[in-house]
Amino acid sequence: MTSLTASSPDPVVRVSGLVKRYKQHLAVDGLDFTVNRGEIYGLIGPDGSGKSSVMKALAGVLQYEGGSAEVFGTVVDSERAAEHVKPRIGFLPQGLGLNLYPELSVEENIDFFAKLRLVPEADLRERKARLLAITRLDRFRGRLMKQLSGGMKQKLGLICTLIHEPELAILDEPTTGVDPVSRRDFWAILAEWQSAKGMTAIVSTAYMDEAARFHRLSFLSHGRVLASGTPAEVTALVPGLVVTFVSTPQLEAVARLKRRYAQVEALGPSVHLFTPERDAGAAVAEIREVLGDLPLEHLHTNEPELEDVVVALLLKEQDGQAGLSGRSGQAAHSATISQSDGLAVQARELVRDYNSFRAVDRVSFDVQQGEIFGLLGANGAGKTTVIKMLTGIVPPTGGEGRVAGEDMRTAGGAIKERIGYMSQAFSLYLDLTVLENIRLFAGIYGLARRQAQERMEWIVAMAGLSDYVRDRTGRLPMGVRQRLALGCALVHNPRVLFLDEPTSGVDPIGRRRFWELLSRLAREEGVAILITTHYLSEAEHCDRLALMYAGRIVAEGTPADLKIQLEQEVGQLLEIAVDRPGVALTHMLAAGFSGAALFGTKIHLLSRDPSRDEARLREVLAQVGLSVEAVRLRMLSLEDVFVSRVMALERAAQKEGQV
Amino acid sequence: MTARRQATTWGRRLAALTWKELLQLTRDLPLLLFLLYSFSLSVLVSGAGITMQLTNAELLVHDADHSPSSRELIHRFQPPYFAFAGEIRDPREGLRHLDAGRAMLLLEIPPRFHEALMSGERTAVQLLVDTTNAPQGLSAAAYTVRIAGLFGAERGLASAGLSGATASLPMVTSAHRVWFNPTQDERWFQSIAHVLRMTTIFAVLLPAAALVREKERGTVEQLLVSPLSPFQIMFAKVLAMSGVILLALSLALYGVLHPVFHVPMKGSTGLFFLLTALHVFTTAGFGLVAATLAKNQAQVGMMTLFVVGPMLLLSGITSPYESMPTWVQAIMTFSPLRYYIDITYGVMLKGAGFPVLWKSVGAMLLLGGTLFGFGMWRFRRQFQ
Repeated sequence: MTSLTASSPDPVVRVSGLVKRYKQHLAVDGLDFTVNRGEIYGLIGPDGSGKSSVMKALAGVLQYEGGSAEVFGTVVDSERAAEHVKPRIGFLPQGLGLNLYPELSVEENIDFFAKLRLVPEADLRERKARLLAITRLDRFRGRLMKQLSGGMKQKLGLICTLIHEPELAILDEPTTGVDPVSRRDFWAILAEWQSAKGMTAIVSTAYMDEAARFHRLSFLSHGRVLASGTPAEVTALVPGLVVTFVSTPQLEAVARLKRRYAQVEALGPSVHLFTPERDAGAAVAEIREVLGDLPLEHLHTNEPELEDVVVALLLKEQDGQAGLSGRSGQAAHSATISQSDGLAVQARELVRDYNSFRAVDRVSFDVQQGEIFGLLGANGAGKTTVIKMLTGIVPPTGGEGRVAGEDMRTAGGAIKERIGYMSQAFSLYLDLTVLENIRLFAGIYGLARRQAQERMEWIVAMAGLSDYVRDRTGRLPMGVRQRLALGCALVHNPRVLFLDEPTSGVDPIGRRRFWELLSRLAREEGVAILITTHYLSEAEHCDRLALMYAGRIVAEGTPADLKIQLEQEVGQLLEIAVDRPGVALTHMLAAGFSGAALFGTKIHLLSRDPSRDEARLREVLAQVGLSVEAVRLRMLSLEDVFVSRVMALERAAQKEGQV
Repeated sequence: MTARRQATTWGRRLAALTWKELLQLTRDLPLLLFLLYSFSLSVLVSGAGITMQLTNAELLVHDADHSPSSRELIHRFQPPYFAFAGEIRDPREGLRHLDAGRAMLLLEIPPRFHEALMSGERTAVQLLVDTTNAPQGLSAAAYTVRIAGLFGAERGLASAGLSGATASLPMVTSAHRVWFNPTQDERWFQSIAHVLRMTTIFAVLLPAAALVREKERGTVEQLLVSPLSPFQIMFAKVLAMSGVILLALSLALYGVLHPVFHVPMKGSTGLFFLLTALHVFTTAGFGLVAATLAKNQAQVGMMTLFVVGPMLLLSGITSPYESMPTWVQAIMTFSPLRYYIDITYGVMLKGAGFPVLWKSVGAMLLLGGTLFGFGMWRFRRQFQ
């Protein structure tokens, strides 16, 4: 049993046959799951899969139509039942800092929630000190909530939710849009409160890579459970291997592999595929056979991640409804390979101030034609402002930029004819149909009727919209809307495409399909793509990346370069699976493994000398009678890169402040 | 050649945007219904219902004389202006009725009324008027003065033995001709006033809401990165909404005003619609400026309320412009509705043409141009 505490199941939450309807729309469709005391339970799924409805029903703030939601043995079905349960739970609603008061300071917010919950003065002082220390917010006690960054707001929100030491915390998408560093702090508080106070938590998330942090989880899709169990159990549902390699030409390789495999992706220069074959040798042999005369280099095989498994499950679910794979794409092949050399975007020392606040601080980078360039960072890091400056929505305070060969400050109109832009909100007119939207943008770019007709057909084929042309945009699923927005941004054949967080709220399959379109645009048509995202796992698709933090670029390079660079600086990542990880961690820290941290049910450790450290830690743990199940070397993720860069900067800034 | 191509492209862009506004409006069913109601049923109701004329004023009589003279005087209070509500025995009872609002007028006729008249003495009647509603009360009092005065004069002459020979006496009579509204049909004024109110409200609200909605949903960013000028973005909205409002106006004109109230169109219909379009354009300027200041539709709703409210009250439909204090008049020079009122009543009822109206038209053009220019400047600035 991997659970950290009580091994005998003691259900705190029991949901059975839950049904929630919003008018005709069925949000939750007969959901069942139980959460035992001391567990951190995950609800994972795309937007609209029913996560929020379940959480609100459990917190007693939403009426439901069928089934039951039981908390601490009380069925929450009336105001009175909810009042009975509420003192023992803490609820953090979705949205950054929505439960807080912007005009109060950090400390005033905490005190207010504590008084509301009648927390004794002495307890309040002790808990407040501890929570502020873990979250590194203690320096900002006096700062008004509205002046905090998104990540800090969310950490404060969590503190206010936990200040009365609830037995059950219900946290709705607490980490969405939060920077990776704050996300780690966030998980640290949760782990601490869970192990020290025996708290139970239900946490929903749209980030697949967080799934490994849960003890058990349910993956939701369309209001139903698609898979549930421990992360290991869910992963075991779809056995197979993930193979990563480089093969050129990449598009040809992907096209050939797609005929055999359901999950093939272009990740930067390499190809990433999921095969049901369990044996590495056999899997590679099969891939070689499919590739034929194409080369196969830089081969890696890995155990599948949860995301690969979930996509496989979702594909299976969709297979029943409609054959989706490979429907798009034939149209794009006719396009000629156009000039894919030359600089598309050139940013030099860009600065943007809002009153006294510097949103963008001396940002410089280049993007080549035919390249996918990613700007990564948390909400408020300055990514969107950079894009707004380059597209001419906002004038820069300082610095200069050239887009599509023109100076962005002097050639407003000329640039606008050559760029496409897609914003976070997708910028579609929801009360118009798919065709009306495309026609509108064709008109805005001044296309003649015949030209507009041609582009419309191209967009419908490229984005796979033929089933939806007469539908109102507001009724489309997010993934389809997203592809339509991309189509509208491409209506005038732009040479440079700006995409501002284009994948928020889209399910994993939709995201993969979107990236497939982007890589084809870049490779076949030589379009330069500048994209921002806060999903660090997605950034692997980019050819080059820049990490932004507090308005500055803190690292730049290809995803592989960034990881190798970090590996050389801090060492490799060891993942240790062990019996009773909480106890093991304490002993490891005592034995001098200072960087060790809990990651779900596993322990992560950075090591410059993996073989020596592995031997030593096996020895340490054997002495206290803990058996090590497995120690594996893992690739560092881009999130590791981001976190370590930002932490280094924060430490430097603090030192400066002390001197 | 390139200039011509540029012009075609420019026109194509404007057409695409205008068409989009119209499409979006047709998808907004509640708003469409509201628009339809405002220019049809609502005009009908306010034309038929709102009246400033004295009608059915409840009259109580305390007749302490019960003589032929007193009965004759009472009989002169006739419908539709007055409604006889009965006789009372005690004046205090009458006061109670006035307090309770059951009667508006209390006429007291003293004892020996008939006797006094017959014997050639002076006598007086007393009228108590409830002037809570001042205009109604004042006209009731004025009517009574006329009725009593005429009655007194006739009796006085008769007692002097001059009945039937009034013409030979040196008296001034006023012989008035009613112009522009010969039947003195107040429904003309009220129904036209209501159409003007609705036109103004929608002219401010529709473009403002359309612009703010784009800000709320983030679609405006998409327009900003495309090769459109702020003028095109804003003008397309005004163009589309003006078209819709003119359509609604013709519904009110040919569906209610003409057939139901028989309001004439003395002047040129074309001129009227042209000047209405000018009014909508000018008034829309207020809405667009408000939209560049507001963050969401609720805010823009509040702001337009602040602008439209005083405009409707003080421009001269509700009360005459000339009777307002000069400082209010000065502020109202900035109200396009003030000029549009002159234009509408002028064209429809007086048959006025451009030679009479050019001042009002010029003022509106100036005002509209300024507002639109300011709106465009704000529009660019708000994103920076």
